[in-house]
Amino acid sequence: MGDKGQGDQLPLGSWVLRARVLSMGIASTPSRVDRRGVVVGSILVVLVLIGVYIGSSGLQWFDPALAPYLFGTVLAVFATAYRYIVWLRRPPTAMLNSRGWEAMRAKGRRGSNAVGLVGKLVNNILLQRFIAGRSKVRWVAHQLLFWGCVLAALVTFPLTFGWLHFESADESGRLYEAFLGPFATIQFDSRGFFGFMVFHLLNIAAFLVIAGVAIFLIRRMRDRGAIALERASDFAPLVGLFAVSITGLMLTASSLWMGGQFYAFITNLHALTVILGLLYIPFGKLFHIFQRPANIGVSFYKEAAEATGEQTCIQCGEGFASVLQMEDLKAVLPAVGFDYSFESGEHYQDVCPKCRRRVVGLAQVARVGGFG
Amino acid sequence: MIQSGYDPATAVFAIDQSRCIGCRACVAACAECDTHRGVSLIQLDTIDRAISTQTVPLVCMHCEDPTCAEVCPADAIKQNESGVVQSSLKPRCIGCSNCVYACPFGIPKYVASFDQMMKCDMCYDRTSEGLKPMCASVCPSEALWYGSDEEFSAKRTGTLVRNWQFGRQTVRTKVAAVVSEPGPVMITIGEKPTQWQDDPFGLGR
Repeated sequence: MGDKGQGDQLPLGSWVLRARVLSMGIASTPSRVDRRGVVVGSILVVLVLIGVYIGSSGLQWFDPALAPYLFGTVLAVFATAYRYIVWLRRPPTAMLNSRGWEAMRAKGRRGSNAVGLVGKLVNNILLQRFIAGRSKVRWVAHQLLFWGCVLAALVTFPLTFGWLHFESADESGRLYEAFLGPFATIQFDSRGFFGFMVFHLLNIAAFLVIAGVAIFLIRRMRDRGAIALERASDFAPLVGLFAVSITGLMLTASSLWMGGQFYAFITNLHALTVILGLLYIPFGKLFHIFQRPANIGVSFYKEAAEATGEQTCIQCGEGFASVLQMEDLKAVLPAVGFDYSFESGEHYQDVCPKCRRRVVGLAQVARVGGFG
Repeated sequence: MIQSGYDPATAVFAIDQSRCIGCRACVAACAECDTHRGVSLIQLDTIDRAISTQTVPLVCMHCEDPTCAEVCPADAIKQNESGVVQSSLKPRCIGCSNCVYACPFGIPKYVASFDQMMKCDMCYDRTSEGLKPMCASVCPSEALWYGSDEEFSAKRTGTLVRNWQFGRQTVRTKVAAVVSEPGPVMITIGEKPTQWQDDPFGLGR
């Protein structure tokens, strides 16, 4: 193992090491519960429950049949918040998190940052243009999954929480009225095109998700690079999303074409897949839904860091990074157990990557006595 | 599952920059690797063309305790069971470039069009099946060499060294440097390479 050097940094360094070992799934030592994670998770759970109570007019519109979904949601909210807080405590993450918010709220830049935020949200979060740079097919698949899941979430959570319900608005029973909590919104013909679309939104979402899953599965089975690197954890979210979507479609199939046969069984099966899916979010690959938006903070950080000037290499004199990022990195390195300082007072992090490769090459060449 | 050839957990990847002839075959071959097709990730640098013909090929050295992974805020860089430090996980990498600036060997590349860090993963598509990495399979001077311990002893001279000293920091790597005598490779900074004519036979070393 690399020499961690600084004895006083050992507890934090060993924490990071333990976290890495945990994430590699090789071995683990019991770690203590993160109090802040528990507090934030609990607060969010209470907020969700208060939201359900108020939004459903004192549980008047809360459907007890959907209680298992609420149970799954509450557990997922707590676990996701807990993991997020623990993740933010890692020294490099904590540094970037605080710098990102600082950069975004910097005086004199708030207006331009607010405008920039809209563009970043659209490009990075909604359209995910960076994926298109990697592969167009991959982008299409991810967009299908993304919008399918967003659509499903926009329908499922308001229904589960009792925020959204429908009432018959005339004698014939065809005219429906949608309510957001106690507030009446639109009326529509339940057998018209709009009504058809409203009542099949989850089916539409399921088709989008299944199409995305199919493309990703084909890629995973055919792409030699993916085959070399993939693990079971890469298939788990695809299998989960497929299971949720197909059991959801089976409910519609049972209702429309099978006279309601197996409906109760499929209902339980669907609820089980959804709850397991929700519980998987904080523990698996889908946690990137919450991690990846940090990229927006990074882009604000990079913009702010540029204003701090360019760090010049002590070997070649060329600029290679922002002063702010290199200073931050020098602060983070000891926190994770590294000391790249020299006795002369110089710091290896003040050498640009190109010159690092040069000094490494020269150091090795100097140690070769002849043709090796 | 290793069908034949080399077990990536025990195989030797050796670098001897003094053998490099700067042909760039490794650069072209690297882009053929299936895990990052079309993007060459090997680093090949010159020292200073005015004073030296020396070229420096460097792959990821796959540190036992990788600095890049430790400074990654997104926890996107993982090490597998064979000790190979893999390229960043695509869903996680947030493109901050911390790893690019922290790596003591200057290896990771930030690819702006992908908004992602990419680095050598020792051609895991090939080495996981017992094959040699692309760069080592095409290197004509064997500056980049991959094989077993026994093969190295039989075919090459020199000692394999995996310890590097960067100031106060010791780094141990999976990839080895070929040197004459045992002992860590000491990295010094602040010295500029001198004209070869000043010391044509290397007597001043």
